[in-house]
Amino acid sequence: MDAARKGIVALPFEVLKRALLQPETSSLLMFSVLFGITAILQENFFEAKSIVRTINSFAPLILLAMGQAIVIISGGIDLSSGAALSLFTCVLTTVMKKDDPVTGVYALILAFLVALGTGVVNGLGIGYLRIPPVIVTFATSYAWLGIALFLRPTPGGESVPWFRVFYNMRAVEGVPEVLKSLGNYVPPALLLIAGACVLWYVVSRTRTGRYIYAVGSNIESAYVSGINTGKTQMLACVLNAILIFLAALFFVGQNQTGDARMGGPLTLRSIAAVVVGGIALSGGRGSVYLAIVGALILGFVGRIIFFANVPNAYQTLVSGIIVIAAIAGPAYATLRRELR
Amino acid sequence: MLPCVENSVKVRRMETFLKKTFPWYGWILGSWFPMQYRKAFTILLLTVLLYVGGGVIVPGFLTLEQILLTLKLAAFIALFGLCQMIVIVAGGGGLDLSVGYTATLTAVLTASIMDGRNAYLGVALLVALVLGLLVGLANGALTSYLKLPPLVVTLAMADILQGIVNAYVAGKAITGRPSPVLVTLAARLTGVFPNILFVLIPVAVLAILVFERTKWEQILFGVGANERTAYLCGINVKKVRFLTFVASGVLASLIGLLLLGNMGIAFKDMGSNYVMPSIAAVVVGGVPLAGGGGSYFGVILGSIFLQALTNLLTALGLGDAGKWLGFGIILFAMLSVYAGNRRSR
Repeated sequence: MDAARKGIVALPFEVLKRALLQPETSSLLMFSVLFGITAILQENFFEAKSIVRTINSFAPLILLAMGQAIVIISGGIDLSSGAALSLFTCVLTTVMKKDDPVTGVYALILAFLVALGTGVVNGLGIGYLRIPPVIVTFATSYAWLGIALFLRPTPGGESVPWFRVFYNMRAVEGVPEVLKSLGNYVPPALLLIAGACVLWYVVSRTRTGRYIYAVGSNIESAYVSGINTGKTQMLACVLNAILIFLAALFFVGQNQTGDARMGGPLTLRSIAAVVVGGIALSGGRGSVYLAIVGALILGFVGRIIFFANVPNAYQTLVSGIIVIAAIAGPAYATLRRELR
Repeated sequence: MLPCVENSVKVRRMETFLKKTFPWYGWILGSWFPMQYRKAFTILLLTVLLYVGGGVIVPGFLTLEQILLTLKLAAFIALFGLCQMIVIVAGGGGLDLSVGYTATLTAVLTASIMDGRNAYLGVALLVALVLGLLVGLANGALTSYLKLPPLVVTLAMADILQGIVNAYVAGKAITGRPSPVLVTLAARLTGVFPNILFVLIPVAVLAILVFERTKWEQILFGVGANERTAYLCGINVKKVRFLTFVASGVLASLIGLLLLGNMGIAFKDMGSNYVMPSIAAVVVGGVPLAGGGGSYFGVILGSIFLQALTNLLTALGLGDAGKWLGFGIILFAMLSVYAGNRRSR
């Protein structure tokens, strides 16, 4: 009877403990805590303008993290995403001429083709040549960096004025009044993220979406079950490239320039966002939407560091420590459980 | 050592390809040629071709001074390549992306300690050793005992180290110079012969002896070739991999001192530019990324090849862009020859 009573008392704790150990729960919990702290620290946090600013500053990382999540779920990893982002901004700003609005359309088409190309090259290496994903994308990241430096040795370039629609619809002439007023409440960055979510939602409802999970969780059995593993991993890489392309649109809309070295630090941050969001690095598990939560967590941590008056020089240090802590924590818990 | 059958199959396949393309290749490589040096020989051939081609395109490229300068710069890549090779050979997807950053931090910290005086070289060495040990211990513990992916851990470690450097130099100039001994060792020439080669050659001989003539060969390469077999033979796989990261960290930190001697001053990203070449040199040098094979001789030849390529691209006026693009393409091409896994599945 004693044991039974102990069991009844312990049960809620067991359930709670098990729920907390779920990666989704802990990342959502962390998100809400950080959200609360930021909301308290920043006085005008809930004003429309400030919300728009927050979304704008987090948008590129969110898009990159979603792409990274798709590749990681398919059993790969993309170390070239930051370099690819820089490359696309360089392509866009090289093709565009300030005085000729039509060049914007050409730039969009060309940059999209380049994006597809980068995805295909990565997919070829990972899916068909079967080189370890880590090292393929490490190699391609330097190839993208090289091409970007050819196009734009120093940051700069020009952009057509209407490209600002990807950043702020009010800044562009000729946009219908309806869209302008919509842009007041729904910034373009949010639309880009929503577009990315819709894209993934559609893909995840198709066979390809399920194949991506299958290939990520066990590639051998996926192959034996008749899934074209090479094609699936290639598609994951292409999807990732499209999301990076969306981030590049936002970046050029915001800054009107291209920069060959701008994306470098974002690569590790996007991987960190995926890990913090609770997606397994081993692939096949977790939801792509969790990457958004992870990116928001990293963003809010950056905000809090900013409010704590920590100098900007410490940002890299802190983000490195967060990554180590985020991946070492769960691994340590697993190790403890195994040892017991 | 445990023969890596799969690996030699790949070498054979590449050789058949080369023999078809260049008929004289088969004539040079008779059956007398040792297996583990075959890839290295191919790289040597590529380097010679690069030099001859470069000499034709760019006048003045094929001179003794140019070649010695290439060797001097390649020595640093080769030294970083040794760190990388130790980690990669032990297998398990090992890779150390923090080597260059460890070197930078050491250089930045010890520059102000030495400040151009020989007397403080001992202190600087001690600082370098401790720092390298700390980085290596952290990398090794996280990867082999917590079973975290080495790539992500060392990438994050690189961020942490660069973050420390950024914080250390924030808002002030980096002061200090290396001690004269280091400058003589790393930057000066004896006659026309760069002194750094007097460091590299003993290191290379030692590394090749350790990798190919001692029991460490069996342990290290055995763990890399087949960790299950090694485990059943009574080797502590985790400990071996842990120790490879420690060795890599300490070596990288000591190379930081040499790098400081060569540059004369410390700056924020002096070492980070060596991370990509160190991995590329290992891959070009024929060390399989899955571990369990390869020779340091090949890595040295690989770094000479890469440095020669860099020099040629610079001479052609392509600069940084051409260098990184060239490295990326070469690495990708070499990987698809060596590292691809076309068999099962």
